[in-house]
Amino acid sequence: MTTPVQSVVIVGGGTAGWITAARIAARHNTRAGGVRVTLIESPTIPTIGVGEGTWPTMRNTLRKVGISETQFIRECEASFKQGAKFARWVTGDAHDFYYHPLVLPQGFTKISLAPYWHRDANGRSFSSAVCFQEAVCEQGLAPKMITTPEYAGVANYAYHLNAGKFAELLKRHAVEQLGVRHVLDDVTTVNPAPNGDIASVTTAANGAIAGDLFVDCTGFSSLLIGKHYGVPFVDRSDILFVDNALAVQVPYDHADAPVACHTISTAQAAGWIWDIGLQSRRGVGYVYSSRHTDHDAALTTLRNYVGPRIEDLSVRRIPIRSGHRRCFWRNNCVAVGLSAGFLEPLEASAIVLVELSADMISEQLPPCREVMDVLAKRFNQTFAYRWDRIIDFLKLHYMLSQRTDDAFWRDNRDPASIPASLEEQLELWRYCAPGNHDFTSNNEVFPAASYQYVLYGMGFRTDIRFVAHTLTQEEHAREQFRQNDKAIQQALATLPTHRELLRKVQEYGFQSM
Amino acid sequence: MSRLAALNNAVHRYIRVNQEQVLAQAAQLSMVPVILGEFLKLCVQYPIVLTKNGATGQFTCVALFGFDKTENLFWTQGRWDAIYLPLQISRQPFFLGADGDPSQAAVCIDTMHPSVQQSQGEAIFDEHGAETPYLQKAKQMLATLLNGEEQTNQFIRKLLALELLRPMRLEIEFADRQKQQVQGLYTIDEARLKLLPGQTIAELHSLEYTGPIYTMLASLGHIYSLVQRKNRLLAR
Repeated sequence: MTTPVQSVVIVGGGTAGWITAARIAARHNTRAGGVRVTLIESPTIPTIGVGEGTWPTMRNTLRKVGISETQFIRECEASFKQGAKFARWVTGDAHDFYYHPLVLPQGFTKISLAPYWHRDANGRSFSSAVCFQEAVCEQGLAPKMITTPEYAGVANYAYHLNAGKFAELLKRHAVEQLGVRHVLDDVTTVNPAPNGDIASVTTAANGAIAGDLFVDCTGFSSLLIGKHYGVPFVDRSDILFVDNALAVQVPYDHADAPVACHTISTAQAAGWIWDIGLQSRRGVGYVYSSRHTDHDAALTTLRNYVGPRIEDLSVRRIPIRSGHRRCFWRNNCVAVGLSAGFLEPLEASAIVLVELSADMISEQLPPCREVMDVLAKRFNQTFAYRWDRIIDFLKLHYMLSQRTDDAFWRDNRDPASIPASLEEQLELWRYCAPGNHDFTSNNEVFPAASYQYVLYGMGFRTDIRFVAHTLTQEEHAREQFRQNDKAIQQALATLPTHRELLRKVQEYGFQSM
Repeated sequence: MSRLAALNNAVHRYIRVNQEQVLAQAAQLSMVPVILGEFLKLCVQYPIVLTKNGATGQFTCVALFGFDKTENLFWTQGRWDAIYLPLQISRQPFFLGADGDPSQAAVCIDTMHPSVQQSQGEAIFDEHGAETPYLQKAKQMLATLLNGEEQTNQFIRKLLALELLRPMRLEIEFADRQKQQVQGLYTIDEARLKLLPGQTIAELHSLEYTGPIYTMLASLGHIYSLVQRKNRLLAR
């Protein structure tokens, strides 16, 4: 006898719980009697509200669950994000910066400009020579116009958002539009079935709630995958040293103050400061290694960045433990979000990992228990790979720094702290630029372009002497560099300021086409 | 440049409006906003399509005159070659004051408009300061436009709600082999229209929207006459 998967129980609200609930309900027709989706949310445990930065994948996530971009921007205090600006990461100088934009290098699908840029950089940084988005960000411009349809862009973009408000919007949408059953209650016990699956969870006021698949979105408490199944936590702090964050919300001076259209990441003695512009405030925070500085010194660093007004604001300290579960799907239980793991927010990997997990679970939801183990194995392989790739990519930022001002930076270059997979790639990239052949899995998280932006932004250089004979498309390359200059001019002439576009979204909204 | 002033029979008593100048000012417009009430007159010669207002992103119905930003193919050899003139052009140089309660909107005149002269053209006040029939007609046009704009916006909102719009893909090749892509225009999605359930069609009918919908579809044929006009110009 086969046991169909007809009911999914998600334990925990927050961004992870509601994204997963909405994606499954939208895909599996919950409203019209398809797979039942129940979300149990504790009325007493506050959500962490982690991460205000997203990836362009968020546009697809929102579209798939059926939320309009206009509504999302209006209700989640959202702003547009066109990548990240890394300041003082290379040498620590006041003028040291580079961009990791979201637009691919000019002509990327046809030609890799990296070696041609190496041959003749013409005094320009890699990101400004091959991509028009840096200029757009530097001028405070938006990635689109008010006439651009919903979810379409002139330049590729993601969002910055208020995570608390985002979870609220998702909740309302999932319950009212998608037919998700919302149970406000505390889970008291997990009840196993004879085969080791979770048969049901007992709640304080609503009795036992049974399900065919359980999703653990209980945050750091990791109630199902950690506490119930005892899946061990793999600590990765030997690679990524940051273990604390001091976060503060800084209001703008006035309602029309410019809003940065990119995440600003400024390196400090023992970590870095994030600076994210939402519509009515900036989210600022110092992530640091407490092995290299103490909390008081960290607060001073944050104070120096924000300025005297920080005295009137409340600063919150959040411990960070970089790492993840050894596996993410066990029996009929899968972990999504902080229960699965967490890494420092350097490349905004938290929400995108939730989206990728929710995407795979909803698109490949096991039709019956009999095939669940096959999909669970595939899920575990996929996400083990993804966590490793993200860790490699984050480490890349640190290990290429030339800063010598603090042991934090020197320790980050200690070969013992660098994953072998990353070391191996770098060996290769010393002689050939990163390309698609380096990233052949279907489960890649960062494309080759991202590696190029960070490598060459961080001052790494590829020795192109031994591939010089392959650089035969000189004229084509020159044309691409010219195209990029043209794209910069055109973007600067047509795009509105970020603040102006946000104001217009509030007033008029985007059209659906 | 323009300077709007509330119309006043003392200050503006001797002003005249030169009709040729009214038309000449539209010589470089490739489109103007139009209202539902004009559709049947417009569709005799103009394509009626939708475009987005650049400042607000909101859809608006327009009559199309040309394919480039400043191209008006109805303006030939110093005259307007069409039977009907859209209200947005013929009401010049008069406006309704924008601020405050629209029902109380004051009639204004753009005193910098080239059609506003002292010597030639239609008088707007007689020697006693009373409104001339010409001004009365202009005021009527303004009132028609004001009501019509709201009505047209409702019409557009309905089309959007029913997902009845689609972007137009125009790739035109002119007689000189020159090719042009025209972007930013939208029209009725005929395929979606055909699939509408009877109940929705009945609703559109009772709102008197079926007429304008089919008028817009029928008017699209005039794109070809615009191309023809352009080819004639090129051949000259």
